[in-house]
Amino acid sequence: MTSSQKAIKAALIDLSGTIHIEDEAIPGAQGALQKLRAAGVKVKFVTNTTKQPLREVFENLSNLKFDIQKKEIFTSLTAARCVVEETKVRPLLLLEECAKEDFEGVDTSNPNAVLVGLAPSVFDYEHLNEAFRLLLDGGSLIGIHKGRYYKKKDGLLHLGPGPFVSALEYATGVEAKVVGKPQATFFHQALQQVGVALEEAVMIGDDAKDDVDGSQKAGLCGILVQTGKYRSGDESKVDPGAWGVCKDFPAAVEKILEHNATCS
Amino acid sequence: MAAALGPKGDWFLQSKSIKGFLLDITGVLYENGGVAIEGSIEAVNALREAGIPVRFCTNETQCTKEHIVTKLNRVGFNLQPHEIFPPAPAVRSFILERGLRPHLLIHDGAKAEFADVDQSNPTCVVVGDAEDFFSYANMNAAFQSLMAMENPVLISMGMGKFYSSKGKLTLDLGPFTKALEFACGVEAEVIGKPSKQFFLSALNDIGLKPEEAVMIGDDIVSDVGGAQACGLMGVQVRTGKYRPKDENHATVTPDGYVDNLLQAVKLYLKHR
Repeated sequence: MTSSQKAIKAALIDLSGTIHIEDEAIPGAQGALQKLRAAGVKVKFVTNTTKQPLREVFENLSNLKFDIQKKEIFTSLTAARCVVEETKVRPLLLLEECAKEDFEGVDTSNPNAVLVGLAPSVFDYEHLNEAFRLLLDGGSLIGIHKGRYYKKKDGLLHLGPGPFVSALEYATGVEAKVVGKPQATFFHQALQQVGVALEEAVMIGDDAKDDVDGSQKAGLCGILVQTGKYRSGDESKVDPGAWGVCKDFPAAVEKILEHNATCS
Repeated sequence: MAAALGPKGDWFLQSKSIKGFLLDITGVLYENGGVAIEGSIEAVNALREAGIPVRFCTNETQCTKEHIVTKLNRVGFNLQPHEIFPPAPAVRSFILERGLRPHLLIHDGAKAEFADVDQSNPTCVVVGDAEDFFSYANMNAAFQSLMAMENPVLISMGMGKFYSSKGKLTLDLGPFTKALEFACGVEAEVIGKPSKQFFLSALNDIGLKPEEAVMIGDDIVSDVGGAQACGLMGVQVRTGKYRPKDENHATVTPDGYVDNLLQAVKLYLKHR
């Protein structure tokens, strides 16, 4: 059990399933967020998206009456952009058109790296060969995340980016740098932006593996909320145990505030 | 790619005990795209004149044996369909023996092999080198088919990573099989090189034991490593998909390297 004796100074908050489900906010989430801010806890909204640009994520949250700023959102696309900028590579973007907006201004001429998101429209033989040849010539491989598949509204499962990242890894022997949750660097990058140390931060989410177990392995405290994709028994997927398990986001905020009260 | 570095390794010193050859086709006899590799026609003919049995082990999965023979003979080879060992007939026997019904993720040109096989309500997915047919829609359909099976069976006609086509390195089927393995959490049954059974069936056809034969190929893992694991000697040619870094490969040390097939055959005939 990760136990934090220090007061929580920052909260990383997952979006879908945690503060909203599709176009409905979790009841009381807006108020709970304000309460958290009023208590001086810094917030950052973190999400694994490979299709939605940051602008769209922001618009959705604003429409749901969440009081947030655009710069408080940190997505896996933002994380990928950070890696591109830090390593100064010129990526071939295997992304859907809509996601490319988050890479405006990035030099993609004469590419020497491959960035893979969820991009069904370019996961074809021609584009994969282009990516393969770049990697064989010494390019680096960046994966937004390695999800195996996802469920669409048609109820069917569809291939995610993971299988295609793993195909390119197998063909070239190049290991991908994966940037989204549950990678430790993802949580670290998000925290760096609010300037808070790992042991003073909490991650709140509905995905036991990617949000809670991932963040705890990265050195944060994790709170599992029992909304969204949560299924009974998910607690056991967090090893060794979540710092907190709460019925929803407002309850998670209460837990943080109670904890901080015992620290002061 | 054809670097003239000369022979490396002393496999040919054992020529007296070598009684037959297994040869890869693409990258050894001819380049994908249809041009014979210099000296390869002469090399095959020289083996035949010396009475040395030869079988052709290929992971070619885009067409039938007859098509392969037609393509090769058109550029000057003299091959017979029964000498060619591609994976498709072996896959066909495998699925018929097990009573499986395939969902085919293969090139249209290879579908003839399975024309009379029941493909309704599939119980396995068969992956060949589908090239342009490796679209997201086709990959997704194969994935959904596997996920709908009670006991998903994934069959791959080889596990090659890439090959040389029209002067460019191009993805082979292996990465696509890997993608399906990763998505579904299953391990593919590989039929074709480098599977041991595949080499043995070709050897069986010429009545030789593994230690009496040499496999010559351009794929260091599938051809050379696969043959060695089966007990044959494995020699890599510096044609086809050969890359200089194959000379210091992490897991496979060939019994020899040659500039091309003709160099290997000349060395053998001189020392036998």
